[in-house]
Amino acid sequence: MSLPAAEVAADFRDALQDLRLNSRPEISNLTLIAKENTEYAEAISTELENHIRSTRPEWKLPALYVLDSIVKNVGTPYTVYIGRNLYRTFMDAYLVMAQDTRKAMEGLLRTWKMPVPESMDPRPVFPADVTRDIENALTKIRAAVQQQVQRPQHALPPRPPTNVAWRDTSTPPQNLPRYAAPNDPRARPSFPPTTPQYGPPLHTATPPMQYQQPQQQAQPMSSIDLADLKSEVTQLISTTQTMFAHNHADLALRTKLQALLSLKQILDTQTLPPQQLEAVRQQIRALAPPPAPSTPVYPPQHTLPTHFQPNLPSNFPPVTAPPNSAPPNVAQLLAGFRPPMQQTPQPASTPNPPAFNLVDLLKRVSSPAQSSSIPAPAPFQLPFQGFPPPNSTPMPIPQAAAPAPSSTPTASLATLLAQFNKPAGAPPMSQPMPMQSTPVPQFPPQPNTAPPTLGSAEWLLKALGSVPGATPAISTPIASQQMARQSSAPFNVMDQIELTTVSMKKPRLHLISRLYEAKPNICATCGRRFESTSEGKEKKARHMDWHFKVKDPDAAKRGVHRSWYMPEKEWIEYKEVDETSPNHTSNDSNNSTSSGAKPKKQAKDRYVSVPQDVALQQAPCPICQEKFDTVWSVEANDFVWMDALSVGGKVYHATCFEEYSKGAGIAMPGTPDSVLGKRRAEDAASVNGEGKKVRAF
Amino acid sequence: MISLPGLNLASQPIEPLNVPTSTATRTQDLSANTEYRFEVSFSRTLTVKLQSGTAEFFGTELAPATTYTFQGTKGAIFTWHGCKLEIGGEVESDYVAEETPMMSCANLHFALENLRDKSVSSGSVEMGPRVLVVGPENSGKTSLIKTMTSYAVKSGRQPMVVNLDPRQGMLSVPGSFSAAAYSSIVDIEEGWGSSPISGPSPIPVKMPLVYHYGLKDPEEGKAFKPLVTRMALAVTSRLEEDNASKQAGFIIDSSGAISQGKNGVYENIEHIVSEFSVNVLITLGSERLYSDLARKFSNQVRDPSESVSVIRLEKSGGCVDRSEEYMKALRHAQIREYFFGKGDETLAPSSQMADFGDLNLFKLVQESDNAEYRPGDYDASSSPIYEKITPSAALQNKLLAITTASPNERQEVIRDSSIRGYIYVADVDEAKKKVKLLSPQPGQTPGNAMVLGSWPEDIPGLVS
Ligand SMILES: [Zn+2]
Ligand SMILES: [Zn+2]
Repeated sequence: MSLPAAEVAADFRDALQDLRLNSRPEISNLTLIAKENTEYAEAISTELENHIRSTRPEWKLPALYVLDSIVKNVGTPYTVYIGRNLYRTFMDAYLVMAQDTRKAMEGLLRTWKMPVPESMDPRPVFPADVTRDIENALTKIRAAVQQQVQRPQHALPPRPPTNVAWRDTSTPPQNLPRYAAPNDPRARPSFPPTTPQYGPPLHTATPPMQYQQPQQQAQPMSSIDLADLKSEVTQLISTTQTMFAHNHADLALRTKLQALLSLKQILDTQTLPPQQLEAVRQQIRALAPPPAPSTPVYPPQHTLPTHFQPNLPSNFPPVTAPPNSAPPNVAQLLAGFRPPMQQTPQPASTPNPPAFNLVDLLKRVSSPAQSSSIPAPAPFQLPFQGFPPPNSTPMPIPQAAAPAPSSTPTASLATLLAQFNKPAGAPPMSQPMPMQSTPVPQFPPQPNTAPPTLGSAEWLLKALGSVPGATPAISTPIASQQMARQSSAPFNVMDQIELTTVSMKKPRLHLISRLYEAKPNICATCGRRFESTSEGKEKKARHMDWHFKVKDPDAAKRGVHRSWYMPEKEWIEYKEVDETSPNHTSNDSNNSTSSGAKPKKQAKDRYVSVPQDVALQQAPCPICQEKFDTVWSVEANDFVWMDALSVGGKVYHATCFEEYSKGAGIAMPGTPDSVLGKRRAEDAASVNGEGKKVRAF
Repeated sequence: MISLPGLNLASQPIEPLNVPTSTATRTQDLSANTEYRFEVSFSRTLTVKLQSGTAEFFGTELAPATTYTFQGTKGAIFTWHGCKLEIGGEVESDYVAEETPMMSCANLHFALENLRDKSVSSGSVEMGPRVLVVGPENSGKTSLIKTMTSYAVKSGRQPMVVNLDPRQGMLSVPGSFSAAAYSSIVDIEEGWGSSPISGPSPIPVKMPLVYHYGLKDPEEGKAFKPLVTRMALAVTSRLEEDNASKQAGFIIDSSGAISQGKNGVYENIEHIVSEFSVNVLITLGSERLYSDLARKFSNQVRDPSESVSVIRLEKSGGCVDRSEEYMKALRHAQIREYFFGKGDETLAPSSQMADFGDLNLFKLVQESDNAEYRPGDYDASSSPIYEKITPSAALQNKLLAITTASPNERQEVIRDSSIRGYIYVADVDEAKKKVKLLSPQPGQTPGNAMVLGSWPEDIPGLVS
């Protein structure tokens, strides 16, 4: 059972990689793997996130459905793990999606704000703060798109205007995204620093986005070149993955891998200006062993064979794009990226320099605008040295100096890519996100026990106020007594039979007497046994009476038919009636002497058989307009209405009619106090107080 | 091993030719702890009468003065003390077995009794044992459960039995799920006994709660898990109100299909265990199943009070593979019994005509493998559950489940509603838009939502 996490994760990954269509069986299968391996939920969640991030845009949606299915059908701990990075997972995918797929993703998001269908758990699939961040980002994207509607070559089709004012979205520094610190003592040691480093707050006021004027001095790289670059990246990813598979603890590798995956995604889905592509290429080459066939570097005069023209902001402000503005085109941000150090020189005392990489960059594209009113502490105020490293991996010595500031996008990208070579350095210092602060080691797999909501039968939920074995029920000693063992011999220690396979095989023939000799008095008709006590004899007598009664040939003459089954609610409230218990012997009024407390022949004791006629079955009491209580009567061997009286073809509540008849001065119809006329149920309730009442409501 | 219905070449033909007709009876002596195993076809009868000693049929004791008649039965009469049986009629095969699993059954029973005693002494605060029996087809699950139930009743308990195997009905027709408390003896001739009829019954009737599943296998339908959940809710609720049942606990019968598992994963077993808070899991036969489940449940970090005891019992040598032909005959017998009764207790169902417009029919949507996942679906399955259909000739010979839901309810409500019973479509006149129905009860056809499943299959000739 204890497959190593890596093995489980690999299985899961293999299955994921086959998923290219929205196939319910495949998604079910993946969900099942996840469900069966909740102890490896973290590894599986990471696989899933990586896959969504790295797979082709058209395959992302099926993978997101896997995510959806897992969080809805398995729930925790997946909701915790996946929730931590959900913003990124979702937004990264969203940004590269085709428009119709975005709609599907928005549909998913809607369901995540609601409880799991059929679940009794009223909480939404993901915590509200997680989905709200995404929601906010989507709103802003729409707004941004709205602003750019006029731009014909925009990556996003226009969307309806939203009410969100663009100016309102500016991000004060304290609202910069906060990332979990790997060395946060509350976080899991192995928590992946997917967001290893983040720079200081850069700006105190965010200028409005300026996306205008595509900058197009440079010629794009040729597509052939691009393909080569992509394949290099892919190869590098594969190499890094292999390394990472052998060393999961290596945070730097992980960071690098993620950055590469992100890069690949950008290459796959965005069009970058040639300078950046060239920079990327050089970085990649530096990272990877040179490929055997050397690819000629095309002169910049080459043009893209497509009509596409990347949009490059020319007047991009010398600050980073507001993280919350989430423009639809990553290339724009890439192009506009500036290292923050340029703008905001930080004190030299900064022990850990801000390091940037694609992961950070992507965050800028897709980070949520934290609406939290709690200001995040300035990261640099926390001394790095005060924190222990998150795991045994030796932390790299923080660089003394920030990367050289660069004035060109290419250079900044180079800086960024240079981070690939470095291990993930200083941990981020900012506050962990709420989800991340949840300690999750050994999260007990929460069994999928939440019963579904029950549609129109909410009453049932109420009835379920307890789980087996855990609920202090109202104990009824009399009932317990009655159900106590009838064989007098108490179990001795030897009889405490262990519930094990081995124990079941041991011969214990001496116990069999409890099924036979303990009750020596057998009914010759049906084989039921009774004790030889006087109580046993009484029971047997009543039992024999019952045999006699049900053999009544007259009763058999009327057309006997199968009755409808009992409705659920009545069944829940129904109590079995044993034909040997005193309360439903065939009556003759006085045989149950102990029932003296009960006044006889009360109106409420009267009943009629439930009418065969459906219209009559539905008819309420003509006086009070309420329906009748249907109960099963053992004696009548039929469903009956209690407290009921048939007068002139209509059925009334006997008590209603009694009241009416008193007022009207008419006599109550006579009660056929026959064999079936006795209220066994009432007797039961009064005889032993055990509540063997058969009432349905 | 899993038996493959219809591929069981070793089994004897259902209807052997040239069966010698005999009215003579013979005497069969059984020594202690042995059993008389027999197979009798649906067209023949076997009579058994206990002459001396004691004997039991799946735990229910044979009365000394009664002749029992078996038809379409594969069963065994066991004796703890030795007995002499008078046997008449014709069997397909019979023999006496020396080795039986009865000691294990008894041990299990007394172990469960310990748990029931604990519940009693806790003042019904604790619940009695919650038992689930799993195993491949024809491994003896139902026989074991019958024996456990009979022993519990014999010990003065009132156990609840829950049937989640759509291949065989309990107190209802195949394709249904049902639950009932057993306060009186389990009938010998009628299987689980009889649900209520409008007249007296020589054996106390049982009161089942019935849901319609309408498919052959749990693995087949998306309704399985929700129905299990619903059933668990109802049973748990009932037990909270009913101390006698709470102390006795319940035993769940399951379909062999859920014991096959996928890659060692038994999703539906886990679902049942979780929904019913099962604490005793009995596996029959298959060692693989046992080891998979034992590992699964022993590994779970649980509150000790919630631990699941996984036990393996040997499959009885008396378990015979039942051919698909036999199973089909058994299903039809159950359906016939629902409408017409059995043996001497004949019932009078009602034949009635209904307009097409009177029937609110919902047909289970069969899932296909290339179905798409849709967000928000329960269990990665896609809605809708049903399609609304108008009657057509295709309805003929089918069973319709009469739900307790209004046709205007949401489909989930219809799915989760218990049923009042079944009606049978005897004939469809498409020209006149009339349907001839066989209803267990006289009176108007209910306007409730009716559900048409694919299981059980058509039953031609129920009304001739
Ligand atoms: Zn009897
Ligand atoms: Zn009234």
